[in-house]
Amino acid sequence: METTTEYTIEDVKRDAGKEVAKREHSERMQLIIFKLGSEEYGLSIEQIKEVVLTPRIAKMPQTPEHIKGVANIRGNIIAIMDLEQKFGLMKSGSLENNNNSNYTLVVESEEYKVGVLVKEVPNTLSINVSDIDTASNFVQYTSLDTNSVIGVVKSGERMIILIDMIKLIEAENLKETLTK
Amino acid sequence: MGKENEYKEIFLAEAQEGHEELNNLFTELEKDINSKSAINSIFRITHTLKGNAMGMGFTEIAELSHVMEDVFNEVKSSRLHLDSAIFSSLFKANDILGQLINSLNTGEVVKYKGIKTKLEVLLKNAKASEIVSEDTVKVVETTLTETITQVSQTEITTTNTVLETIEDTDEDDSIEQKIVLSDVVQVPVRKLDALLNIIGELIIEKDTLVALNIERGYQSTDLARLHRITSDLQYGVMDVRLVQIGFLFNKFHRVLRDVAVIENKKVDLVLEGTEIEIDRNILKIMSDSLVHLVRNSVSHGIESPQKRLERGKPETGKVTLRASNEKDTVFIEVRDDGNGIDLNVIKRKAVEKGLISADYAKVISDDEIMMLLFEPGFSNAEKITEVSGRGVGMDVVRGSVESIGGKITIETELGKGSVFTLSLPSSMAVKGALLFELNNQSFAIALTHTEAVISLRKEDIHKISTGLISKYLGKTISIVFLNDLFRMRNMHQTVEEGAFHKTFENIKEDQKLDVVIVAYNKHLVGFVVDKLMQQKEIVEKALESPVQNVELFSGATILGDGNICLVLDVAGILKNLFKEKMNAKIEI
Repeated sequence: METTTEYTIEDVKRDAGKEVAKREHSERMQLIIFKLGSEEYGLSIEQIKEVVLTPRIAKMPQTPEHIKGVANIRGNIIAIMDLEQKFGLMKSGSLENNNNSNYTLVVESEEYKVGVLVKEVPNTLSINVSDIDTASNFVQYTSLDTNSVIGVVKSGERMIILIDMIKLIEAENLKETLTK
Repeated sequence: MGKENEYKEIFLAEAQEGHEELNNLFTELEKDINSKSAINSIFRITHTLKGNAMGMGFTEIAELSHVMEDVFNEVKSSRLHLDSAIFSSLFKANDILGQLINSLNTGEVVKYKGIKTKLEVLLKNAKASEIVSEDTVKVVETTLTETITQVSQTEITTTNTVLETIEDTDEDDSIEQKIVLSDVVQVPVRKLDALLNIIGELIIEKDTLVALNIERGYQSTDLARLHRITSDLQYGVMDVRLVQIGFLFNKFHRVLRDVAVIENKKVDLVLEGTEIEIDRNILKIMSDSLVHLVRNSVSHGIESPQKRLERGKPETGKVTLRASNEKDTVFIEVRDDGNGIDLNVIKRKAVEKGLISADYAKVISDDEIMMLLFEPGFSNAEKITEVSGRGVGMDVVRGSVESIGGKITIETELGKGSVFTLSLPSSMAVKGALLFELNNQSFAIALTHTEAVISLRKEDIHKISTGLISKYLGKTISIVFLNDLFRMRNMHQTVEEGAFHKTFENIKEDQKLDVVIVAYNKHLVGFVVDKLMQQKEIVEKALESPVQNVELFSGATILGDGNICLVLDVAGILKNLFKEKMNAKIEI
């Protein structure tokens, strides 16, 4: 804290301007990082309500395979998804890991609430928004809808695929209605 | 509490409220004697009070409020000019009115004739100039009934105690002002909904506790008190949400009249069982469907006056709305003494519209024909009128009935009339369910759809081309191994050859099979499960995205052990099974 007594309105304006410029340059984003197959994936921390130990899942017949069923998370009945299966990342020898999805990320928006299975304790990572390579540069991969992939973040040696769970659920719903 | 007392309590609460409002309005009016809104409000309140008091047989209150109403009728039409003398009489009259209302509780004798006469004299003076026109009263009356019905739609009166203070009046009369305790409060429905939700959670928690207790080897009776208290609490709140069906039925006088006028028919409405109580939310969901059914009865059921006379029927038709209850189910009947439904016409239409194939039409049962009425895209209206061309079809009616776990059935006799019967749960929050196990997972079936539970052996079940059949009480029923259904990727696979034979072929000859017979639209189907478990009251929660559209399940509930139990959507499954079959026949 400075003890300047002469802090004029001009100073306020100037400082405010600096603040805005700073934010524009290096807007930070907090990510939750988890492994799917051998890749690292990230979700914006804002989309995640909590991380819980995976509760017992009630299987749900006649649903796509990547929907593992529904579980009771703090009195809420929430659908549980396996993104490895959805993205087709578990073809080679990952069967032994099948029952090892120990943690569930609870994704929540105003409209949706789903659980995402992950194997290891997820980490957090803070990145610069400007470090995201947006998805428009990639070849479109059918089962990974372009809209739900925000882009790729490089952090040192690591490469993290950033996804938007809410978009993904919306795409899922749309597909379901179309096939009906 | 007896019904009489309950009505009295409601009357008292309304009267006290009205009395207090009058005090405020008089004060307001004294400050601005031209306030139209105040004059109209006073007129309205005194009019209601008079009507209610007459209905309850409280003559004193009725007489006094009648005079006050008359005074304001004059004021309204500017034949009586308000001055301070009149105001002092009015305040005095209102005080006496308040005392009269209170005396209903205390039994105290209140003298009111003096002030009544005083007001009458005022009136006589004013009337000397002109004669009152009746029209204004009538207009106010209709708007009034509308207001009342609107209020009853959005709010439920609940019996409770609340402290309400009366506003001070400017008048420093000798009469003491007291704080009046009203015995009734009005509560918005959403607050009750929230309360009921919380109780739902409480019940789940209680079940968890009970399950835990049994696991630890304690007696299940240890928590009997907790069990009793939670269920008392639950039923208490449910009871508060109940409203008399008459609230809804009474609106139908108008609905019926309007349709009758458009259709040029003469119809009387008869209401029965208006005192039956039902959850307010169910009533709300059903109101549109009932409007539709009543309109249909007039527009398709009741014949024109000439035709009725030709048939030897009374010229005026009759539509009856009748409510009755049996345990937790409320039945609402919409009955007309009109033309009845011609099954052949329905059959022909269904074939024309491609709902069934012509071949199938030859063998279709009467019950099944009737159910075609509820198919989307089926409208039996020969002509599009203002009434029938509204786009709300019978399929929508069925949909909303089923959405709350109810059923709809039709009985009809050609030339004599039809009856549409809705069987509705009286309360929505909790439903009885039968639990069963399949592949080590628990599932539930709502008891409203459960017809019986039987045990069969492999030899009792017979293979036919499309599935499995067996006998139940002399009737042939379809048998479905739920396991087969659950293994399919979607409902379209039900038509694949041998789709329902898979599990059947792998079971041992002497194995005993637990079968739940479910009923929907007069179709009976036996679901084979691994193991039947207990009957239980469950709080069903809706499934959310991305599993909200799964056709097999209507919702889920959390069991005492914290596990989730999916609730089978019997209506959906059977609808699908039989629809798929019909289509399959068309393809052949």
